[in-house]
This record gives sequence, structure tokens and C-alpha cells, in this order.
Amino acid sequence: MQIRTTRFGSLELEPSDTIHFPNGLLGFEDCRQWVLLADAGNSALGWLQSTTRPEVALAVVSPRRFVPHYQFKVYRSELAVLELEQVRDAQVLAIVGKNERSITLNLKAPVVINLRCQLGRQVVANGDLPLQHELTTASSTLKKSA
Amino acid sequence: MLVLSRQRDESIMIGDNIVITIVDIRGDKVRLGINAPAEIPVHRQEVYEAIQRENLRASRLEPKDTRQLGKPKE
Repeated sequence: MQIRTTRFGSLELEPSDTIHFPNGLLGFEDCRQWVLLADAGNSALGWLQSTTRPEVALAVVSPRRFVPHYQFKVYRSELAVLELEQVRDAQVLAIVGKNERSITLNLKAPVVINLRCQLGRQVVANGDLPLQHELTTASSTLKKSA
Repeated sequence: MLVLSRQRDESIMIGDNIVITIVDIRGDKVRLGINAPAEIPVHRQEVYEAIQRENLRASRLEPKDTRQLGKPKE
């Protein structure tokens, strides 16, 4: 199948590449089918691209690569639609955003994907976690120390 | 919108298996007890709305914006 995207042009996909989000994502409830693309320039970065809306794509990273001590708890109900048999089938991704100061990671509502079944859901983690965790980039660290 | 009056310790049913009970009323604050099946997530509305706003904001990110992300420390 072929999909159109505004950022990456036309893409040829296998049906098995698509990840089904039974509830969509918050704010994108109509987007049920997504595909995870690798970023051309940064191996740590992926793009969750809607297969039905060309302009809708979210940059995602594995949060622990940037926030090593990150962990979260969710109610069992949050994971029910993922049909997870074992926790190691789950891939956790944090959505990348940007505010006036910094690139940010959404640690409050990570995306969890069951790799075995290609099922995904954005879960709401319990407790006090930031929607915009600011990442101090290498260049800003240099500026501070200069 | 359906509006129902309830007193403390009274409940409403939503469908067959969601029960919302008025646990306590103090001034302008109402405490609700929610009994729902395990597969029904329950959250405060403002949390949902904040996540929606954040997703919409994140969806405006372009590949060039992520250059300042850098690579993580291995």
C-alpha cells in the first residue's frame, strides 16, 4: 500500500508495517492507523506517521535514552487494549515536542506499542510527570559552561 | 446533558457496570467514587485536555526542528 505524507513524500508500506491504535491518539482520535518511520538523520529518532492524514506525524524517541531513570506506572485499564502477554513485548516511546526554550519529551503520556500484535495506545501515566520535559541539548550545555 | 440530583452516598449507574458514588460534599468540592471495569480508564478531564493540546503542539514539529535533539549519550 502507498501512503502520502507531507514531511516524507510518498511511502510504500507493507500492511504489516501499520500499527493499529484502537483509540487513536488524544487530539487525533480519528487516526487509528499509524506507521513508525526511522529518521534519516538521527538513529535515536522515529516518526509516528498517520497513514490516513498526510500532515499528521509525531517525532518519538525511546525515553530512557534521554532520561535514563524514567519510569512510570499506569492503571491496568490503560494497557488492556494492547493485549500484552508479557511486558517485554511492549515498546515505550515518548512524543517529542518543542517549547520556546527547548526540545521537550512528553513523559506524562507515553505511547506504548505491543510489537507482537502491532497494537498501540497513548497511555496516561499516574502521578506527577511532565508533559514537557525539557532536554538540555549538547549545544546549550556548552553555552552555559562558556 | 442529563442532570441528576444526588445526595451523599447515593450513586448513578452508567451502563451495566460503571457506578459513580457521591462520597463526600464539602462546600464547592464533591468527592466521587468510581467503580468501573478494569478496561475503562478514568482520568480527570483537564489531564486529557492538556495531553490533547500537547499532542497537537507536537504534531507541528518538522524534521528540521529535531536537529537540536542531538544523539543520546551511549
